[in-house]
Amino acid sequence: MDSTLTRRAQRTLAYGFLFFILISMATPFVWMISNTFKEQSEIFQRQPTLIPEEPHLRNYVSLFVDFDFHKHFLNSAFIAVVHTFSHLFLASLAGFAFAKYNFPLKNFLFLVLLGSMMVPLYTIFIPLFVLVIRLGLVNSYAGVIIPGVAGAFGIFFMKQSMEAVPGELLDSARIDGASEFRIYWQIALPLVRPALAVLAVLAFMGSWNDFVWPLVVLRSRELQTLPVVMAGMVNLYRMEYGVVMAASLLSTLPILLLFLALQKQFVQGLTVGAVKS
Amino acid sequence: MSSASIVKDRGLRAWWSRSERKVVPYVFISPFYILFIVFSVGPLIYALYLSLHRWPGTGPMRHVGLGNYTYLAGDPVFLKSLWNTVYYAIGAFLFILPLALVLALLINSTLIRIKSLFRIGYFLPILTSTVAATIMFLLIFNNEFGLINQGLASLGIPALKWLDEELVKISVLAIVTWRYTGINVLYFLTGLQSIPPELYEAAQVDGAGTWAQFRYVTIPQLRPIALFVGVVTMIGSFQLFAEPLLLANGGPNDSSLTIANYLYRMGFTNAKLGYGSAIGWVLALIIFGLSFIQLALFGAFRKED
Repeated sequence: MDSTLTRRAQRTLAYGFLFFILISMATPFVWMISNTFKEQSEIFQRQPTLIPEEPHLRNYVSLFVDFDFHKHFLNSAFIAVVHTFSHLFLASLAGFAFAKYNFPLKNFLFLVLLGSMMVPLYTIFIPLFVLVIRLGLVNSYAGVIIPGVAGAFGIFFMKQSMEAVPGELLDSARIDGASEFRIYWQIALPLVRPALAVLAVLAFMGSWNDFVWPLVVLRSRELQTLPVVMAGMVNLYRMEYGVVMAASLLSTLPILLLFLALQKQFVQGLTVGAVKS
Repeated sequence: MSSASIVKDRGLRAWWSRSERKVVPYVFISPFYILFIVFSVGPLIYALYLSLHRWPGTGPMRHVGLGNYTYLAGDPVFLKSLWNTVYYAIGAFLFILPLALVLALLINSTLIRIKSLFRIGYFLPILTSTVAATIMFLLIFNNEFGLINQGLASLGIPALKWLDEELVKISVLAIVTWRYTGINVLYFLTGLQSIPPELYEAAQVDGAGTWAQFRYVTIPQLRPIALFVGVVTMIGSFQLFAEPLLLANGGPNDSSLTIANYLYRMGFTNAKLGYGSAIGWVLALIIFGLSFIQLALFGAFRKED
């Protein structure tokens, strides 16, 4: 009797704590959404209102009319899609090579690959920018995409799943006279589709949310991505809070929807590093 | 086609069919190494070279030896940014990791039935960009009309200046905690779920209570994941950039400025490319050094026994 009672108390306490944290974490989201429908004066007033007194969509209209939100949205989408497909191709190709071939220096090259993940972005930040200028890639999408397109993590990740592709399958294709590239493209790649989906989700989110590198590369406003434009909208002295909140919400929405559609891939992708360590 | 070229063509084909499998893997992995050399190794070395020079981005460079580094050692703003960054890193360890571990333990325990609601709910903040996340918190921490101060006021408690020098670092840490706790919960959960249940059964047979099981089974078994989480948290905290920049523009009075913020200010705003590169190399050495220490502390270099 006594032990069930303490167990019930423990359970209540545990749920209470978990829900308290959950609500705390949801609050900024909810508060942001509420404020996108408010007038600046209502945001500023002393008494906070969860449900806006006079809800309106003027902030959203202003976002598209005054800030060309749709154009920057498309810029972000374009960069993210090109980055994702190029990264999937290069990472799966290299992952296939590391998993399915033996070649001199393989282990050494793989160590170099793992070591490349240790290079901090900010250490190479300035020279990388100088290089991108010299290559004529500044203020271009190529300049945003190319330096980070062959990330080592993706190769490491694809190698793991390529290892599960049966070697006999590849050998029988070889006997039929298929080229090595065709073996990769037509036999190996379709077999690792689930892993590709996980990596795609990660690559897309990384590119979509990226801030610092596009900030320095994209100089002209019409090329800029959402995070860069949103950062520009943050002016601590005179800011249209409702509009900025609407931008923040709409920029998060695609990833949120993607997450709801592909929950498993997200969770798997983001924890894979921990599992493999 | 002359007969000679046919022979040559045959020779080439024969060579290719013999060597395709030897050559192809190098071709397949080459894009990564070419891009890595051009866009990482090259810049890494060039950064070292730049850090020994004074250069405003155009015109001739002036060799200054270790001048940039000795100047850094006495630069009060750099030292402030270094202290702030260390503060963020310590704060991340003190706030995020214990909270994430407790949440993971609770979700993993038999007390809790609806596990996925919490797992997924805590996870959502990591989906936001750092920019969107910081923007959300502008409405939480504003000195005049932020939600926290409005809440305090309705309780009759005087407002706190969340964006002033005394509290701004705590506000930045709150954003970071909000964004990264959930992913660390998932890391810990992965670790907890990979502990073989037989270990607990054996401990129970030996008469171990809940606490003893936690102390002698859970904690040691979580070591690898704790190492991973620790290194990732440290590396992440030392590269904080957007949160202090957008929340308070690194201020007031540089009190929230990070090393990355200062590097950006020197390299891009003030066009001191040599000095900025020196900051970058100091940052790299700190990150390498701390990673090494963490690996050594967790015995990652010891042979498996």
